[in-house]
Order: sequence, then structure tokens, then C-alpha cells
Amino acid sequence: MTAVLYWLASAAIAIGVVVTLFAGQWRRGLGLQAAGAALFIAAGFATLATGHAVGAAFTSQLTPRLGVDRLSGVFLATLGVVAAPALAYSSRYLDGSGRGRLIGALTGVFVLAMVGLLCARDAITFLGSWELMSLLPAVIILVYRAADAESRRSVFIYIAITHLGGVGTWVAVLLLAHAGAFGTAGVVGPGSALQIGIALAALVGMGTKAGLVPLHAWLPRAHPIAPAPVSALMSGVMIKLAVYAMIRVFVDWLGVLPTWFGVLVLAVGAVSSVGGVTYALFQHELKRLLALHSIENIGIIVLGLGACLVLRAHGDDAWAAFALAAALLHTVNHAVFKALLFLCAGSIERSVGSLELNRLGGLLRRMPWTGGALFVGAMAIAGLPPLNGFASEWLTLQALLHVVMSGHVGDGTAGAVALAALGATAALAVFCFVKVVGLVLLGPPRRAHVRDALEVAAPMRGAVAVLALACITLGLVPGLLVSRLVAIAPWSGDAPVHAGLYVPGTGSLPTVGIAVVLVVATAVLIVLRGQRTPPAAPTWVCGQPVVPELQWSSAGFTKPLRLVLEVVLRPRREIDVRTHGGVVTELAYEGEVPNLIDERIYRPVARWSLAGAAYARRLQSGSLGMYVGYLIGLVLVVLIAGRIGWLG
Amino acid sequence: MSPLLPGLILHWKARLQGRRGPSPLQPYRELRRLWSKSTVDVAGTTVVYRLAPALVGACLVAAVGLVPVSAVGPNLGVGHDVIVLVGLLALARFAAAASTWDVANGFSLMGASRDLTISVFAEATLLLALVVVAVVTGTSNLLGMIAGTAGGAVWSSPALPLGALAFGIVVVAETGRQPFDNPDTHLELTMIHETPLLEYAGRDLAYLQWAAAARHWVVLVLAAQVFLPHPRDVWAQLALLPLVLVLMCGALALVETLQAKMRVLLAPRLLGVAALAALLGVIARGVGGS
Repeated sequence: MTAVLYWLASAAIAIGVVVTLFAGQWRRGLGLQAAGAALFIAAGFATLATGHAVGAAFTSQLTPRLGVDRLSGVFLATLGVVAAPALAYSSRYLDGSGRGRLIGALTGVFVLAMVGLLCARDAITFLGSWELMSLLPAVIILVYRAADAESRRSVFIYIAITHLGGVGTWVAVLLLAHAGAFGTAGVVGPGSALQIGIALAALVGMGTKAGLVPLHAWLPRAHPIAPAPVSALMSGVMIKLAVYAMIRVFVDWLGVLPTWFGVLVLAVGAVSSVGGVTYALFQHELKRLLALHSIENIGIIVLGLGACLVLRAHGDDAWAAFALAAALLHTVNHAVFKALLFLCAGSIERSVGSLELNRLGGLLRRMPWTGGALFVGAMAIAGLPPLNGFASEWLTLQALLHVVMSGHVGDGTAGAVALAALGATAALAVFCFVKVVGLVLLGPPRRAHVRDALEVAAPMRGAVAVLALACITLGLVPGLLVSRLVAIAPWSGDAPVHAGLYVPGTGSLPTVGIAVVLVVATAVLIVLRGQRTPPAAPTWVCGQPVVPELQWSSAGFTKPLRLVLEVVLRPRREIDVRTHGGVVTELAYEGEVPNLIDERIYRPVARWSLAGAAYARRLQSGSLGMYVGYLIGLVLVVLIAGRIGWLG
Repeated sequence: MSPLLPGLILHWKARLQGRRGPSPLQPYRELRRLWSKSTVDVAGTTVVYRLAPALVGACLVAAVGLVPVSAVGPNLGVGHDVIVLVGLLALARFAAAASTWDVANGFSLMGASRDLTISVFAEATLLLALVVVAVVTGTSNLLGMIAGTAGGAVWSSPALPLGALAFGIVVVAETGRQPFDNPDTHLELTMIHETPLLEYAGRDLAYLQWAAAARHWVVLVLAAQVFLPHPRDVWAQLALLPLVLVLMCGALALVETLQAKMRVLLAPRLLGVAALAALLGVIARGVGGS
């Protein structure tokens, strides 16, 4: 029955793509694609709930096979939850020109490529969908930006880093298929060199795709320049599929990995989360801020995954299942609120024209739907109760706490450091999103055209409203999802179903109780506050006149943190003062927080590679005789090697 | 009960400085005075400005309901998990900071940015201190923590004293006492937790001042019942609690009188020292045997 749903959904998206591209009613095509994505939600959650696998099982043979099991089901449902609103949003975001239709069609193909990756049951389909999934956003960005110089450069960096790092994915998958372990646990011996090799290759390859530090440089370049619904899909789902691949390799197929590997994964996750959010704080363009913030949340997901690996190495299987459930819950939650934030950013860009944080303001009054949804998304991503971000961060913290409690000295300390990193990340996320909410939604508008901004069309408003509702629902009843997510770990069974989050032996998160108490207490306090409505007066500011030019900027608000972390961030500042006869006539200020990984790691590596390539170019002399000489030399070497017996 | 705590601290600080000082019941009189005054409204603000004091008050109500006063406590719907407590305090901080952006008051914004900067380090240190206790007692439920740290046996290993040292510094940071902040003034340069107070009056201001007092209650009760030696028996815990709270208020007053306010940007270093102490506690527990 669910198999029929999957085929129907894929068919709907495929037909929708064709309609969008060719037919006159291209908006209907996008609507059809959205309906197909919505069917994926139903089918995915059905598979997750019942646990019945559909289609073929995994195989190490190189024949195309498709199938869905619980883990694929939850990711397919997440894909649907993000894609359906995004595609409905596109119907108004894109215009009816040839370019707009092409982007709409390519978005549908992108969704199908991701579906293909999730349903792949053999190495060929897996790798083929992986590559297609990487290439399609590049095409979409180039079409959207009409291939201008900046987009060409960003796409080049994106493709280059994805493929250089992605070598790891190819190596890992092909080694697994060669060993016959693609889909079968227990074939690769625990502690063997093959297992460690595959694990490290997978971490590098899939970590590049997921955007883990230090392989993340493509993320803040590629995500901001894509159209908003595609950014939502990239940030919400594409980087999560790298996590899906990691879970398959580390948890399902490689058996029990040694403890030091779990600690390595924890370290990478902690560095990514703290680094991502710290750099996100100092951005002044909304989409780039959101892209860097995705790195932070991937770091949190990887922290949960690392906790799972460490707990499994200790033999604590029940808690390892909870840690995996924490990582998966944060995957679903982050997809929902990141898509919400990107779609709201797209709406603001359509309505105001720029996403420069220092030039917005007061949009909560002008665009109540989009502004309200952005507020809900910001509270969710900052990890505040009673929304969904807090639930998944709570579960991850509990898993890390258990790592500390159960571990030996080394792992326990690593777990404690990871826990402190997660706490700092949560506080930094609150800081970041107070800034975003304050600069975008609150306060007086900073430019005239922002003062006259209008709310966007109904499908765009509806899409973000649906996602905001999903945030609130997932925050109220995460337990319904977690009880099924715990069962995904291949060694564990089902967990009892509650609305809140209950883990054995320690504290619990009664989400409904907290929400009720907060709402009732706020309502009581508002009622007690009384009805006296005083006349509105300007801001007091200790009696000073309010000067619009002296409003706080993004850099000003984050300055204390910039100064505290000066040693690590090395911010640069240039102040230019012009005087005329002792009186200051002009003052120019320029400051930036440089991207240190770009400067210290990527640039030297790029320089050396180019120098090496220039040296190697000497081989291309252009003379035919030289090339024939190379060929003869190669044949001689192969013959000698065959004679000696080097070639098997 | 909570407004009594800052009242006591203020009273003793004055005594230590040679003045007569206000009576410990002064905060109650302050709240009653504010209750009868009318609120103000700032032009150009949204629902965030109007809702923020009620939301902050609600968060602290939930937090007070979460922290039990003894090893046995009623479940008022919010449970007793200590990570939920950290989350509720974060929500209160978010609401207060968002309201400062809404009124666009430069002084409030400066205080809000400093509050959020210090909270980054304070939250990490707070979590580490709580991790020490969680590792010792094996649970993150506060009832279990209070029961698990009762008696004298757990104090023999260095883990819990190191955690107590770390939490002591966090208490000073969370209550906004010197050397982190000067709660006696209302200047933007010395206000960290009190930042949105500038644009509120009447009942809104009463809610925010009560919330500040409730923050005192929450961290001091946690310190008394988890991070200091306490008896096993529930009734003995309840009887001893007021005495310990009064002693801690005295200790805070002493610390405030002896310490000058440190430069705000150096405060994270002090919190970093506290975090290292808590980490040492975790290592000690791991080495000592668990």
C-alpha cells in the first residue's frame, strides 16, 4: 500500500515537472509537485510508524534497486515537509518567464534526485543520485543568477569543494560494495583497518556535503545566492542527506566502531557548532547568516551521532538508540525551521528588495504573517521552550550527559566538553536570533521603502504559516516522533509512546505541561496587568531626543562578543578621519570579521595546488613527438610490470 | 518569598558599609508601590513590547515551580529537569532582549548585548557545574539530585566541591552581583540583567523586578539544596533551608562589599576559570571511580 503511495508521489512530481516546463498553466505544475511532496510526507511517516520496509533490500551488487525502510522513511517525510511548502511558495516567488519555469522544473528534479538517494539500495543508484543532487543546485543557481561573475565563482567553489571532499564518499561506498558490506552489517570486522579506512573516508566525504568544519567553505557561498525555495531545500534537506549517509555507514553497516572514532565525531560536531554560530553572529546579510547557522545545527546533529557511536562502543545500546533518536529529531526539526526562515527571508527580499540587516526594521507591523512566522522560526532555532528546537537540544544534552556518566575518564571529559560547547552554542544562537528579530522585525524602519513594505501573496504566506505551525506542533508533542525514532537503531526495539520526552532513569521534558504553564501564566499576568491604556509616548532614553541616524547596527550589538573573542576571531578595523582646520569633517569606519579558515587553510592550499599545476603543465609541451614518447614509455612500464608480476 | 532575598542582601551591604540601609522588606513595598502606578506605552512598538514583561514573569513562575525546595516536591506540570530550567531562563532572556530592540533605546540595547555576551559563558559554566552533580548522582532530575547529594559521603571526593565552586561563580553572575554587575545603579554601563527596566513602569516594572528576585530564589535554592551539604531527611532539609538562604545572602553581601566591579569584557575569564574547575570535577569523578 505504501509502495503505491511512493510511486504515486514520484509520478506526481515528475508530471508536475513536465507541466511546469512546457504547459501554459505552469503554476498548476508547481502545485502538482507540491501535492506529490505532500504524499511523501504521508508515505514516509506511515513507513516510520509501521516499520514495514517497502521494495528491495540493500545489495552489494551493482544493479539498480529501490526500496524504503524506516530511516529512509523519516528522511522522505522530512523532504516532503520541506518541499511541499517550498514548491507551493515557488508558484508566486518565481515569475512566468522561461527562466522561472526552468527553475521551477529543476526544483522538482532536485527533489526527485534526493528521493532517489533515499530510496537507493545499491551503490550505483546511491552514487548517481548523490552526484545529481550535488550538481542540480549549481545549475539552478546559474540559471537564477543568469551566470554572472559572482555566481560563477561561488558555484565553482561549491562544485570544487564538494567533489574534492566527495572523493571520500566514492571511496567509502565502493569499498563497502567491494567488501560485500553495502547493506549488510557484520561483514567488515570491528577494529579492522578496512573498517577504520571506510569510516574516515565516509567522515571526510559526507562531512564535506554536510558542511562540517573545516570542509564547510562552500556553504556560506552557495546557499545565499540560490532562490529562496531552493535555499530552503538545500539547507533543510540536502545537507541532511549527508547525515543520512553517515548514519547508514557508521551505525548500520560498519558494526561497532572504536571509541576514539566516536570522540573524533564528537569533536568535529562541537567545533562545527560553535564555529558556525560564532561566525553567523557577525554576518549582516540575512541569508548568509542563515547559511552559517546551518553549519551550527549540523554540528549539533553530528554531536548526537557521535554520542551514539561512543555509547555503542561502551555497549550501552539503549542509550545509543536515544542518542540516535536525538540526532534524527534535530534533523527533522532543523529542516522545518530552517526552511521556514529561508522562505521568510525570500518573502522579505521580494517585498523590500534587500536582506541587509542594517537596512530593515519594523517589518512585524508591515508584514504580520511573514513577520510572525519569522519570529516563531527564530524562537525555534534559538532552542527556546516550548518549541521544537528545545526538545531536540534537550534530548542531545541528555545523550551527552549519559556519555559523561557512563564513560571512562577520556570519553567522559570529551562528553563534558561537548556538553559545554552545546550549551555555549545554544546561548550564542539566542544572541544571534535576538539580533535578527530585532533588526528585521522590531524597532523603527530604517529606510523609506521598508516603511512602505507590503505583505506578500497568499501562497507565500500560507507556506510559512504551515511551517510555523509544524514548529509549534513538533514542540508540543515530540514524544510521538521520538518513540518511533528510537526504534530506527537496528539493535533496539520500540519505545513507549508519550507526548513529552521521557528517557529512562533521569529527568524528563513534559512539553505539554511546560507549554500550558507558560501560556496560562502569561495570560494571567496580562489580565492582572490591567486595562489602563496610557497614551503612547516616544522612547524615553533617559530624556534624550531620539535620533534615527544613531540607531544600533548589527556590528554594534555584537561588539562585546567580538571584543571578548578577539584573540580567536582577529577582527579587522579601519577608521578614516578627515579634519579641516582642526574640525572633523568626515569619518569612515570599516570593520570585518575575517573568515580565518579561508585565509589560513584554503588560500595556501589553493596557491600550492596552482603552483604544482603550473609546474606539471610543463609536461604539455605541445610537440607530438613528446606525446608519442609518453605513450611508448607507459606501454613499456606496463609490460615490465606485468612481466615482474606487480599487476595481479 | 523571593523579594526577601535581594532585600536581605541590600540591607546587609548597607550595614557592612556603615549605613543603616533599607529594611529587608523594602522590595515588597516597592512592588506594592509599582502595582498601584500606571504603565507606559512607547510609540511605534509592537506586541513584543507589551507581552515581554508578562512572558518573563511567566518563565520565572515556571522556573520557581520547577525548582523543588526539598527531595520531595510536587510536580506542577513543568517537571523537575534541570536542563528545562536553563531553557526557561534562556527564554526570559530572549524576551527581555527582544523588547529592548522594540523600543530602540540605546542604553537598553547596550545592556542587552552585554547580558547576552556574558550569558554565553555563564550558560556553558552552569551546564558544566550541573554535569558534575549529574555525574555524581546519576540523574538530571532535581529531586534525584537533591536526594543524591544529601549526607556527607559525596563530599569526600573532590568532584562536588569543585562543582560547588563553579556554581558559586555562576550564582554571582546570574544574580547580577558584583564583580559582574552593579545592581544598585540603573546606568546602562552597569546593568546586565536589568536592562529592559528603563522603558517600563507600573505593573510591567513590578513583573520585571519580581522576576529578578525570583532569579535570586532559583539559583540560591539550587545552591543550598544541591551544592552545599544538606541532611537526608526531608523535614530537616525544609527546616534548614531558610537558615542557609539567609547565610548565603550574607555571603553575597560580603562578596559585593569586598569586590569591585570588574571590566565587563574580562568577566568571561572568571567564568572560564569556573568552567575549568567544573571540568576538573568531572575528571576527578572519572578518575576516582564511577
